Amino acid sequence: MTIVIGFEGSANKIGIGIVRDGEVLSNPRRTYITPPGQGFLPSQTAKHHRGVILTVLKEALQEAGLKPADIDCVAYTKGPGMGAPLVTVAIVARTVAQLWDKPLLGVNHCVGHIEMGRLVTHASNPTVLYVSGGNTQISNDPSPGYNIEQMAKKGKRYIELPYTVKGMDVSFSGILSYIEEAAEKMLGSGECAAEDLCFSLQETLFAMLVEITERAMAHCGSQEVLIVGGVGCNLRLQEMMGIMCEERGARLFATDERFCIDNGAMIAQAGWEMFRSGQQTELSDSWVTQRYRTDEVEVTWRD
Amino acid sequence: MRAAVMAACSDTQDSVPGRLHFFLNVPFPSEREASIALGSLAPDSEPRKGGISKEMCTAGNILNVKWSADEARILRVSVGSFLDHLALVLETMLEFGPPVPL
Repeated sequence: MTIVIGFEGSANKIGIGIVRDGEVLSNPRRTYITPPGQGFLPSQTAKHHRGVILTVLKEALQEAGLKPADIDCVAYTKGPGMGAPLVTVAIVARTVAQLWDKPLLGVNHCVGHIEMGRLVTHASNPTVLYVSGGNTQISNDPSPGYNIEQMAKKGKRYIELPYTVKGMDVSFSGILSYIEEAAEKMLGSGECAAEDLCFSLQETLFAMLVEITERAMAHCGSQEVLIVGGVGCNLRLQEMMGIMCEERGARLFATDERFCIDNGAMIAQAGWEMFRSGQQTELSDSWVTQRYRTDEVEVTWRD
Repeated sequence: MRAAVMAACSDTQDSVPGRLHFFLNVPFPSEREASIALGSLAPDSEPRKGGISKEMCTAGNILNVKWSADEARILRVSVGSFLDHLALVLETMLEFGPPVPL
């Protein structure tokens, strides 16, 4: 039996989860919500996390009905993400690991999403689409994604927008500059409503994501798709991906917002896999990093 | 548990003119706890590479931190940030300590 506690706070969610051999025992989480129209900035986010992290940690242990002595390993997000919040969470993880004399494990946030997706859906060898708001650097505009999603639900007219896919790469710069110009014109002339533009934007971008996913599946001969990351909660994306999968006779896996959205249990789950395959992080190597590519991780727990 | 913080600030006239220095000596209830604090606070380097450096070490139950900076503003930001992190370590120790016997 292996019990791992995972700490996640790389963006505006702070979550701590406990996993025991594939079972999520607890997964409390808090979200730093900024006033409408404002995005979340690193130092304020870190301050929010500092204020609640110990409470969330106590909750995680209480809900799981465990004592610190029961924990086998302390996992935390090494990166990628925002610097100040990452440091805040790492500091607490390092401290309890030392207080409780438990091994420490730095986990890649994206790998956390993937491993939790695999655990929850039992997909065996899926092509994974990881689509996140924070980790997808489209622009610096605060919180556009959520607002666009909500407005898109009310859109009725489809307006053609630039669509850019080159092989396995998508480009959002063309559509972004187009819509910045077009929005003013079209909304001003009453040609369409803001909801229609949001709807069209979403349809176009999601179609691009579906195309590259399909290409990846064709290249790898894969018959399974797993969508992870916060944007993976979007039902329209799941619907579009589902249509593509049906056409190919493939299966689509997606998780709900408990696990799509950043949470501690996903870090614990990735940590569980890594720990059982013999990995550990020395304190001197436990520094956090804002940039951490998924392909930099040495996957020792799976072929 | 109390950790009293004594700070000393000096503008030295040594070989690097204009360098500002700041010292923090933080006593802990035990050598082990000072060492744990060091373990938690040392791994992440300064966000701004230029113009500031920080050294940390323990001497018995005291955590010693020394900053060298070119500008007061950069020094203030770094020290302020460190104190926030130190407070977090202390709160964590209060809530989840004392350390288990090795």
